[in-house]
Amino acid sequence: MLSSNIKGVTSGFPLRIEAEKVVEKQVELNAAFLKNMFTKIEWKPFVDASQAMGYAELPDEAEPSMLKFDEFLQKFHHALLELHLEEGALVCPETGRRFPVNKGIPNMLLHEDEV
Amino acid sequence: MNGVNTDASFDVRTPVSDGEYDIQQSVPLSLDKRSSSSTVQSTPEIEKKYVHRVYDAIAPHFSSTRFAKWPKVATFLNTLPLGSLVLDAGCGNGKYLGLNPNSFFLGCDISGPLVKICADRDHEVVIADTVNLPYRTGYGDAAISIAVLHHLSTEDRRKKAINELVRVVKKGGLVLITVWAVEQEDRSLLNKWTPLNPKYVDEWIGPSSPRMRSPSSFTMQSIPEMEENVLRERVHVSGKTLEPAYLTSQEKDHSVAFENGMDVENQQEYFVPWHLPYHRAEVGGASSCALANGLAKKDDKKGAVVYNRYYHVLVSGTESVVVVDRFFDKSNWCIILEKTC
Repeated sequence: MLSSNIKGVTSGFPLRIEAEKVVEKQVELNAAFLKNMFTKIEWKPFVDASQAMGYAELPDEAEPSMLKFDEFLQKFHHALLELHLEEGALVCPETGRRFPVNKGIPNMLLHEDEV
Repeated sequence: MNGVNTDASFDVRTPVSDGEYDIQQSVPLSLDKRSSSSTVQSTPEIEKKYVHRVYDAIAPHFSSTRFAKWPKVATFLNTLPLGSLVLDAGCGNGKYLGLNPNSFFLGCDISGPLVKICADRDHEVVIADTVNLPYRTGYGDAAISIAVLHHLSTEDRRKKAINELVRVVKKGGLVLITVWAVEQEDRSLLNKWTPLNPKYVDEWIGPSSPRMRSPSSFTMQSIPEMEENVLRERVHVSGKTLEPAYLTSQEKDHSVAFENGMDVENQQEYFVPWHLPYHRAEVGGASSCALANGLAKKDDKKGAVVYNRYYHVLVSGTESVVVVDRFFDKSNWCIILEKTC
């Protein structure tokens, strides 16, 4: 859901993930939140991102009706909330600018000449 | 990428010999001309020195004092729909992240050390600038900005920050903003704050802060559709008297000490001291660095390293989409906006 905010970039989404270290966390499943998020995300980039983090269990396409099924909900939940990029970078699709991720925290601050 | 001339950035790391800071020496006067050509998103030097570096240095101590949750913020968060995505811009130590277990919080702050504290508590956070949020447009269900905007030194930057908050929420999404008010309920607090000398305001902030100059701008704008609430909020400043109808009897003492004969009521720019006890000053060398830069003064009497935070204390004035609610709570102006399109 993060997007590149460099001035002049017309489409800063999706940021490509360069994963050096991925960590899996345990997060409680919140079905209402998942349903809400499902409407917001773009599935294809989401699948790509998950795969970049080493998770390939998501179907290539998805529709809201699939949220009824526990198995799908679990996979969606896992990819969305439990996979954590610990070390790596998020890369602007337009400029190639790398936003580093250290200890799980992306640094999205721009340099003086990028605002 | 934008071709902004990078020699506009000026790093003022000149160490001052006797440890006392002399602002005059370190800020180049050409700043004033530059501020009109640099964008609203580039961080002014005064914020770098007196907000960013200070918070970075005091982060753990600051965090340990920030635990009380304001009821009004809690109420706002708890009444959001189930499964909401909440963006906290300027989340500090993450006090409000996860407050509502039915919502998902995404926090951001410009201070790396503060963000680290949030991450250590297992929150989803990024390091980002509230003037330039890295979120997709219309993504959040709600956004909050608690005691953040008064750290931005120009009106343009504050407007940009508000626009960002509105941008990142969906249509129908709500935004809660709180800022420190000039009309502090505890007037004695103002005595501890060092007013920023108008000379420096000019140099650093430039003429883009019209509110500094005109006392008439103190009268609150009323919102027609909330007439009954506005009555309580109307603050009339005439000469030296501040008469908000609903503040407690403490405020009857209008003999507030004036610094250098400056009228406190017209004063909006302040340094607010932060006392960092010596034993906390081990923060990653940032303290010694700050002392060298003259950002901090050793206060031997109080046995603490005194930092000056730059607070721009705001008079409420909002640019909004639709104002859903507006209130004054514990010396803070709070507003709830709803994005209508």
